[in-house]
Amino acid sequence: MLKQDVNELLTRTGPGTEMGDLFRRYWLPALLAEELPEDGCPPVRVKLLSERMVAVRDSEGRYGLLDEFCAHRGASLWFGNNEQGGLRCAYHGWKYDVTGACLDVPSEPENSSFYRKVKLTSYPLVKIGDVLWTYMGDPADQPPLPEFEWCLVPPEQTYTSKRWQESNWLQALEGGIDSSHVSWLHSAGLRNDPLFKGSKGNDYNLNDMRPFFEVVDADGGLFVGVRRNAEEGRYYWRITPWVMPSFTMVPPRGDHPVHGHFWVPIDDENCWVFTFDYLPARALTAAELQAMKDGHGVHNEYVPGTYRPLANKDNDYLMDRAAQRRGETFSGVKGIAIQDASLQESMGPIVDRSRERLVSADSGIIKARRKLLTSAVALRADGTVPPGVDPAHHRVRSASIVLPKERSFLDAARDAVSVIPGVPQTSV
Amino acid sequence: MANRPILANSCALAATAAEARFRIDAKPQTPRASSVVALDDGAMALVRELAGQEWNAARFLGLPDGTPAGEYADLQLRTVDGEAVRLSDELARADFVMMIATEGAGAAAATTIGDACTLRGIMTAGLVVGTNGGSGPALTALRPNARVLLVTGDEQDATELLAAVGA
Repeated sequence: MLKQDVNELLTRTGPGTEMGDLFRRYWLPALLAEELPEDGCPPVRVKLLSERMVAVRDSEGRYGLLDEFCAHRGASLWFGNNEQGGLRCAYHGWKYDVTGACLDVPSEPENSSFYRKVKLTSYPLVKIGDVLWTYMGDPADQPPLPEFEWCLVPPEQTYTSKRWQESNWLQALEGGIDSSHVSWLHSAGLRNDPLFKGSKGNDYNLNDMRPFFEVVDADGGLFVGVRRNAEEGRYYWRITPWVMPSFTMVPPRGDHPVHGHFWVPIDDENCWVFTFDYLPARALTAAELQAMKDGHGVHNEYVPGTYRPLANKDNDYLMDRAAQRRGETFSGVKGIAIQDASLQESMGPIVDRSRERLVSADSGIIKARRKLLTSAVALRADGTVPPGVDPAHHRVRSASIVLPKERSFLDAARDAVSVIPGVPQTSV
Repeated sequence: MANRPILANSCALAATAAEARFRIDAKPQTPRASSVVALDDGAMALVRELAGQEWNAARFLGLPDGTPAGEYADLQLRTVDGEAVRLSDELARADFVMMIATEGAGAAAATTIGDACTLRGIMTAGLVVGTNGGSGPALTALRPNARVLLVTGDEQDATELLAAVGA
C-alpha cells in the first residue's frame, strides 16, 4: 500500500516532476534502430517522458531527437523532408540539423543571419546494439554511454523488439521484479513455448509453487533471489537483477537465450517495453530468431505496421476461454508478453496503490519503490547521482543455479550475476 | 456473438481512468495481525522505534535479556513495554511474523519462531539490517526460518514493509 502522494510522485515522469528528473539522469532506449533504417530516411515521431519529439537520421548518418514542432508556427516536423544535412519543415521550409539548430529560414533575405537565433530543443541519440538511446537531462550531467551486455554482444547474438503498453511504466516494471507470478500466469508457457520449454529449471519451477524470496541491495538496484526445493540438500535459485530506473532480466532456462526488459515511460498512462533476447557466447540459431520474430518467448505479434500488440485491450486480448479450459494458457491470453500486459493494463492506466493489499512476498516491489523514492528525493534535494547511472551497474546478468542449501545465493553466484564477456550464462 | 461485449465496462476497454471512479470503494479485508520480533539488541532498538509509529494491528516484541542459546519448545518474549508473552500465545493472534536481526545472536530463537510459524501456517519474513550483501551471521540465522528475506542497509525498509502489508 502506498499513500496517494507517494504514488503520484513515483508514477509521474513529465518535465519538472521528481521521477521525471530521475529518469532524465539516465540513457534510455528511445526507439529501435530499425525505425531509422538508412541515412536520410523519413523521421519518426517519438514521445518519451511526456515530451513529443521527432527522431532523425540525416543524410550523413547522424542521429538526433528534436522537438516535434517547428519553431515558426508549431507544425509537426514529422511531415518534413529529410534532405541534405537536415530536416525541412513541410509548412514553410524552415530547416533544422540533428542538434535542433536552424539552418535556413527561406522567408528571410538570402544573407540573413536570423536562422542562427533559432534552435529547437534536442537530445542526443546514439545507436548501441539494436537500440537508439537518448539522454534527456542536463548536458552537464550526461553520464557515459550505457554498457548493458545485450547491446554489446555481436549482432548475431542478440534480438530486440518493442511493444506499446497502455499503462503507467511503474506497474509494468513491477511485473518484472515480481517473480512469484511466473508459476501461475506463465505456467503453460514453461511447458509449450519454444523459447522456454525443455529445461530442468522448469520442473523445479512447477514442482514447488510456494517459493522463498530473498531481496538484496545492489549498487545499481536490487538482486531478487527466489528459491525452490531441488534435489535433497539443494535449492534451485532464480536470480533477477533490477537496475534503476527500469531494467530487469529474467533468469534463464537451460540453453535458451536470456531475456529481459527496459520499461520507458511514453507519458504517465503509456510506456514502451523494450524486450531483448541474447546469448553471451553463441549466435542465436535461425529457429530461435524466427521464434522471437513470430512473437514467442517474451516477444509478441503486432498489429501490422505498428508496435501495438495484435492482442490488445480493443479486442479483449483475443481471449480464448477454450484454450484456458484446455490448460494451454492459464489466463486465456496467448503469449508471455501479452499475459503480462493484459493484467497490468487491467489495473487501469495508473493503478491506485493506496488500495492494494501487498504481502511480504512482494518485498522486491516494496524495496524497489523505496529505492526509487529515496533516489528521486535525494536527487531533488542535493543532486545525489542515483544508482544505475554508472555503467558499471549495467554489467549484471540474471542466473538460474542449483546450490547447496547452506550457501548464500549471492555469494555463491557472484560470478554468475556478473558480466564476463564471452562466458555463457549460468542456467539450469 | 454471445461472447462479444455490449457495454464498454464489459470488456478490457473498461481499464480507463474514467472507469476507475466506478470501482467499489470498500476495504476488502481486515488488517493483518502482525508480530514484529527483534532477535538481538541492535534489532530491539529498531523495534522500539517502530512501536512508536501508528499501525493497524501490529505488536512489537523482543527476546528477554539473557535468553539462552539452544532449542526451545516455546519461547518467552517481551513487549517493548516489558510485558512477558509466550510465543505460543503471541502466535495464536498473529497471521504474519517479521523477525529483525542485525547479528547472528538470535539464531536459535529464529529457528523456534520459524518452526512454530510453519506449524501454524503463519507467514514469516526476515529483515536483516546492516548487512552488506548476501552473507553474514544474521542472514545465516534467518534464511531457513523466513519465507521472505530482505537484506538492507536502510532501517526505513522495516517501516515500508510493514506499511505495505497493512500491519
